[in-house]
Amino acid sequence: MNMTGVEGIVLLGAIGLIMIGLAGLFMSNNVFRMVLALVILESGANLFLILAGFHGLGIAPIFLSNHAISDAGHMMNDPIPQALVLTAIVIGVGVQALALALILKIKAHYNTLDMSEIRQQMEYDLAKNNDVTLPASAQSPDSLVRSKVICQAEQTQPDHIQAKADVQQIGGSVNG
Amino acid sequence: MDKLVLLVVLPLLAAFLMPVLARSSQVLARLSGLLVLLISITLVLNVWGEVDKQAISFAIGGYQPPLGVVFYIDQLSLLFALLIPVMVLIFWPWNRPSSIQEYSLMMLLTASASGLMLSGDLFNIYVFYELLAVASYGLVSVQVRQGQHPVVAWVASLRYLLLGSVGSVMMLLGIAIIYLQTGTLNLAQLSLLAPEALNNITGLSAFVLILVGLGVKAELFPVNTWVPEVYAGVSTRLSALMAGLLSKLAVIVIVRLLVLLFPQPEALHLMTVLGMLGVISGELVAWRAKDMTRMLAFSSIGQLGLVFIAFSLPGNIGLLAGFAIALHHLVVKPALFMLAGGWSGRLEKLSGMAQSSPYHVALFVLLAMSLLGVPPLPGFWVKLLLVMNLAVQTDPVYHFALAFMLLATVLEAAYLYRVVMLFYKKENHTHASSQHSLFDWITAIALAAVLLISVVQLPSVERKLVSMAYQSGNRLLYIHTVFANIGTPEARIDRMSPTDQAKQPLVSEPSIKEKAIKEDLVLGSAEQ
Repeated sequence: MNMTGVEGIVLLGAIGLIMIGLAGLFMSNNVFRMVLALVILESGANLFLILAGFHGLGIAPIFLSNHAISDAGHMMNDPIPQALVLTAIVIGVGVQALALALILKIKAHYNTLDMSEIRQQMEYDLAKNNDVTLPASAQSPDSLVRSKVICQAEQTQPDHIQAKADVQQIGGSVNG
Repeated sequence: MDKLVLLVVLPLLAAFLMPVLARSSQVLARLSGLLVLLISITLVLNVWGEVDKQAISFAIGGYQPPLGVVFYIDQLSLLFALLIPVMVLIFWPWNRPSSIQEYSLMMLLTASASGLMLSGDLFNIYVFYELLAVASYGLVSVQVRQGQHPVVAWVASLRYLLLGSVGSVMMLLGIAIIYLQTGTLNLAQLSLLAPEALNNITGLSAFVLILVGLGVKAELFPVNTWVPEVYAGVSTRLSALMAGLLSKLAVIVIVRLLVLLFPQPEALHLMTVLGMLGVISGELVAWRAKDMTRMLAFSSIGQLGLVFIAFSLPGNIGLLAGFAIALHHLVVKPALFMLAGGWSGRLEKLSGMAQSSPYHVALFVLLAMSLLGVPPLPGFWVKLLLVMNLAVQTDPVYHFALAFMLLATVLEAAYLYRVVMLFYKKENHTHASSQHSLFDWITAIALAAVLLISVVQLPSVERKLVSMAYQSGNRLLYIHTVFANIGTPEARIDRMSPTDQAKQPLVSEPSIKEKAIKEDLVLGSAEQ
């Protein structure tokens, strides 16, 4: 690929966006931020795809007459990646909307946006409903986070925390 | 042939029309979904004999390949095109009242899964894969397991969605890299260009990206964290469908791309290593699992690892072993999930179950024996095939894979034996009882019957698998079939720009076998 200056900058931008998106997804613990990072990641990928069919001097295919296409095919921007990106954007928006809807529901129930807390509460619920003890690995980080959970949620959902403590007691007694 | 496109169109139409129809008549809307599935099955059976003889391909909308979008149908894709409506029909939410939206999502799942199997275009594969993913996110958040609070399923769905979206973006990046290298998305033309354009480090990186993307659904080792949460949270019917069918679809797409696009041995080695890690991690965690559903979920990760190891064997024999293991798992795991549906709660509660429901337990033992590979059952033959072919490879990585696989089988035996021991424990005051719904029980029996029939019909099953592996492992057949309408690929290349023609020979150093196949093709067309 022969790149002009503009293309080089755009390529760097695309790779940068992908990196930012991935870093955001892996380092952030807030589910809403994770969705935002996903948006950034997807725009990076889309930009990269657009670049695949881009020529520095090319023009959009609809502005070329039939004659011009056969004459100077290399002057046309490749329309296929643009069509692909259009599809990818639409799919991405749909998936992100679904993610936000799920986040709203989860927030209404667990009253937190913190991914590790959400996950722990889900593990507790799963274990409680299945009547099993939690595996040790799922129990251990709890002692670190629990104080945080209680500080945040004491006023709002005391009964839920109580249920959690109950499950823990059951788990402890069976393990013991 | 063009009517096969109805396999995608009809369920897609039904998916969006069913909620509208339901406004006037609920019964009509619900029946229309089932009707579409039955039509799909008949359509596939109609062309079954024809595809057995030779693969077919047709372009959609009259645009010829490589510019137009093609569907490619060989025995492999047709088999899955049959299995999709059949499995969806079996695992339809019969057992409980469900909303029309749920049925609509099931139809969307059918449409996208069929499209994924039939499509011969890389970007279409991406779109259908995304549709499949969206439909399964929706189903996971709706089909909550009985006795489970729906919020568990929502969280599982959200985590699945985040991982799945990252995977999809990676796959899109891989496709972009392939497009940058070759300038086409048609699988047949890509396959033509692959030995030149993709047989390098760039092509390998594209393969890794696509593998990560498709691996999310295929329960590949590093991207399978969603599996235990989702399978524990959703209804066992949906778990059975996802573990049995959907994971295999992603695997089949990976294999298709591997055969056509990525000839590097490094790609195969990567799959072996990831498969090894998958099989050992899955079985180790399954060994520690405390309830039946989780045990089966982790065991399914292990089995998928085995499938990946099998497909990473070079040549047609790898395809044969892979198809055998994948199809075996497709029958056994859903049946086990159906049985697990009535045995919720921790494993200790199942103690003495054999006294109260001996038939359920007997069926479980049969399925578990096949999963392990006890001689007369199909599970034995597929594992034997894999072991023997791993052992004859000269590459040491396959010997490691063999060791890992045998170790994993020992672990598998340990936890399945533990469950069986619990079942047959003598309890004086047992309260254990099964709560299987009639539908689950019938489904499990039907799948077990398929398993037993395949024991009796072993030679014909084997013949079918061999011809399937031979047909789908044949790159040149794919190219010739897709370009049949517009002449040979050589003619096609002539019509491309002269520089391309100079750059791209048909195949770089065709092996003797490929040459022979090519001659066969030429002879065959001369006879006609």
